Amino acid sequence: MPELTIADLKKIKEEYKSALALREGAYRAKVTVHMGTCGLAAGARKVMDALLDEVTKSGVRDIIVTTSGCAGLCSREPMATVEIINKSPVIYCYLNGDKTRRIFKEHLMEGRVVEEYASPSDIPFFNLQFLRALRNKGLIDAEKVEEYIARDGYQAAAKALTEMSPDDIIKEVKASGLRGRGGAGFPTGLKWELCSMSKADQKYILCNGDEGDPGAFMDRSVMEADPHVVLEGMIIGAKAIGATKGYIYVRAEYPLAVKRLQMAIDQAKEYGLLGDNILGTGFNLDIEIYQGAGAFVCGEETALMRSLEGKRGMPIPRPPFPVNKGLWGKPTVLNNVETYANIPPIILNGADWFKSLGTEKSTGTKVFALTGAIKNIGLIEVPMGIPLKTIIYDIGGGIKKGRRFKAVQLGGPSGGCIPEHLLDTPVTYEDIVQTGAIVGSGGMVVMDDSNCMVNVARFFLEFTTDESCGKCPPCRIGTKVMLDKLIDITEGRGKDGDIELLEDLSRDIIVTALCGLGQTAPNPVLTTIRYFRNEYEAHIKEKWCHAGVCRVLSTFYIDEEACKGCMACLRACPQKAITGEKKKPHTINQELCIKCRTCYEACKFGAVKVGPADMFKDKKSQGKSEIPLNESEVKA
Amino acid sequence: MAGNILIVDDEPVVIKSCERILQPEGYMVKGSSGAQEAMGLLKNNAFDIIITDLKMPEVDGIELIRWLRNINPSVGIIVITGYPSQESIKDALELGIIDYLPKPFSPEILIDVASKAMSVVKAMAHVKETTEEEEIEKKSMELLSIIEKNKYKPGSLIPVLQQAQELIGYLPPSVQRLIAKGLNIPVSEVHAVVSFYSFFTMKPKGKHNLRVCLGTACYVKRSAEILEKLKDFLKIQQGEITPDKRFSLETVRCLGACGLAPVVVVDHDTYGAVDPVKATEILEQYK
Repeated sequence: MPELTIADLKKIKEEYKSALALREGAYRAKVTVHMGTCGLAAGARKVMDALLDEVTKSGVRDIIVTTSGCAGLCSREPMATVEIINKSPVIYCYLNGDKTRRIFKEHLMEGRVVEEYASPSDIPFFNLQFLRALRNKGLIDAEKVEEYIARDGYQAAAKALTEMSPDDIIKEVKASGLRGRGGAGFPTGLKWELCSMSKADQKYILCNGDEGDPGAFMDRSVMEADPHVVLEGMIIGAKAIGATKGYIYVRAEYPLAVKRLQMAIDQAKEYGLLGDNILGTGFNLDIEIYQGAGAFVCGEETALMRSLEGKRGMPIPRPPFPVNKGLWGKPTVLNNVETYANIPPIILNGADWFKSLGTEKSTGTKVFALTGAIKNIGLIEVPMGIPLKTIIYDIGGGIKKGRRFKAVQLGGPSGGCIPEHLLDTPVTYEDIVQTGAIVGSGGMVVMDDSNCMVNVARFFLEFTTDESCGKCPPCRIGTKVMLDKLIDITEGRGKDGDIELLEDLSRDIIVTALCGLGQTAPNPVLTTIRYFRNEYEAHIKEKWCHAGVCRVLSTFYIDEEACKGCMACLRACPQKAITGEKKKPHTINQELCIKCRTCYEACKFGAVKVGPADMFKDKKSQGKSEIPLNESEVKA
Repeated sequence: MAGNILIVDDEPVVIKSCERILQPEGYMVKGSSGAQEAMGLLKNNAFDIIITDLKMPEVDGIELIRWLRNINPSVGIIVITGYPSQESIKDALELGIIDYLPKPFSPEILIDVASKAMSVVKAMAHVKETTEEEEIEKKSMELLSIIEKNKYKPGSLIPVLQQAQELIGYLPPSVQRLIAKGLNIPVSEVHAVVSFYSFFTMKPKGKHNLRVCLGTACYVKRSAEILEKLKDFLKIQQGEITPDKRFSLETVRCLGACGLAPVVVVDHDTYGAVDPVKATEILEQYK
């Protein structure tokens, strides 16, 4: 393929648009198997094999079989989309080889939709979303640049390179109000402007694909499903700031993303969309992938740059800011994957179009990775300003049966837990900060009443203690001391004053730590203390973990009135500690119980309850009279 | 030459007498009256040699040997037998035993057989270590070409280390020295980078590398219990490798496959919605 000009781009677009839309040509149907990391893990490969096998066996030639990235509804993988000419597409979920064979026979060959496997497409999960950064999600084959071009790909880059000056680009991005999607929400246009004003012989444009927050997988999906959008966003940014060299820093835990990005870069180079004289405009930009080596702190901008230089990924104090002195001491702009994905549509459609969604200060849409104790797990893109409640109950479908919502965790180890009474909070940078959490990069983990909030705080502190680079003492020592306290509390050694000490330490760490990792590390502790202080107090004073997660602080017993005698718990118990007859209340032998929670999870009637540690202090088995008096005070 | 010896025989008097003969020679001797008990001891302790009877009630010696060959092939095996010509001794020989003791045996013979076996075991261990070094030696040409390719690229240390680890499996000091020399960087700096990033390891990994995700979504779905179960099942801690080098166990902070939580990865295969029992079943597929 010779290097493209802008006219060629238009031609490819028209050519492939028809193939994508199935309007013309020799094909009457198309099957897209969604093969992102989660789809593959759930068994998408078997779906593909079965499909190809059936196609070969039947000898049909008018069906396109193709692959695409994540379709968004991860909890229903493996998924495939079947499109038949002049009919609306049908999404199938929970597929396997046999189901695929049946769909091939009935839907593709005979034209009858297999309703039992199909997912309705007009559910709120899809209806309430506005796809911008994820506009190509599940629609294009990530490994074919032509399909990206067919969906307006590289049109924005062509416009920016030919019709716009660097100032025009910056003005447009500034006017759009786009803020960095990596977490802190710094205005992207302003960052570009500051860098464009720095004078230097070499500038760098970097993409942060080191998505380290546990529970976040938005950037992975974008890089896997639509790698060219990252490149296009970087080309536009490079023109704005005057960079000629770019790096995409991707974490090593994302092998598929690395593979797809590398493919995209190779194709773009071959087509003259990267390298020297891009699209014949005289603009040069070279982009390379750099794989991280497993350090969370490298998501911090100065640490990421040190890592790119081949050193330990340790942050340095700012100022000087990277826009003036970044990678190898040269002016550098670093943006997150999702931020770049938003750039091309802003350039093509204008700032006003972008601002049509969102609020005044938080414009546009935000991608979230919705996961945890929720029905619809998946990747969603919603307008900023949407209330948390809508995301959790309408898009997410609410909490799994028999459980109650307890909190939603936003922003990973730098964020916090938001309780039920604040669920009307709109998702904007300003409003979420008021709750003590942050919007963050987009991890949204929903927790129900079977989660212990003290244990959750401990989990995040374990994480930050582990990932602290060790450079500054507040982070290195402070988080460790906090973690020790939390371990004490969850293991029954908590004492009066511990909560206050945690709050004190948190405040000190926030003001003295060197980088964002340390400054935000106390957030999970502070928010859980703020909203779930009663749980901390129950752990310390009553030696009681109401959720039954902290083993030392829980006693499992069976409520004789609620027990139906179904024997589910008895069969599930690995210790054979439960005795009882059918249709009669069961009992747990406390001496044998290892507090593994299996019975608690197995009971469909909520008859297995959690009491404080010393509930049956002197007795070996439970009895009705021994249920503690304050049981009625326990909140659900 | 001292070492740890396990005696397995259903007759307590045989164990007693072996102990009495071997202990003064400097050996640490443990006895077990049945194969089942012996398996438990072998799982939890490091023995250099096991001396076992073949005919035992319940589980016989051949079965024990077969099991041991799978679990830890480096333990030297000696069998005690009344009839050296019988079928079972042939089976035992095929399973790679070092020697046999015809019943009844004198103290001199026991000491002689034990010390010979011990020197064989120790020599084998030495051979193994040198083969590991030879492996690295063999790959050094490839390693040098990786270094050569990246020599003049700024910031190439981490990519070189990644490729070296891909090639050799881990980064022992000798490899780090080679890279430092090749890239003209102080060894201290190379080691500083190796020890900073969790992706790099100085210990060899098992044939199959297990990674349990401890990201938030997996954690709230109790992946910590899966980790405990695997530790228990493999009898190793995280960051360690099983004695037979089959499995190594690691934890990882979020693989971004939260929709499938809790997640376990074996080599390059991702398994979703795992529970502790399922986790051990997955291992069956990886021999």
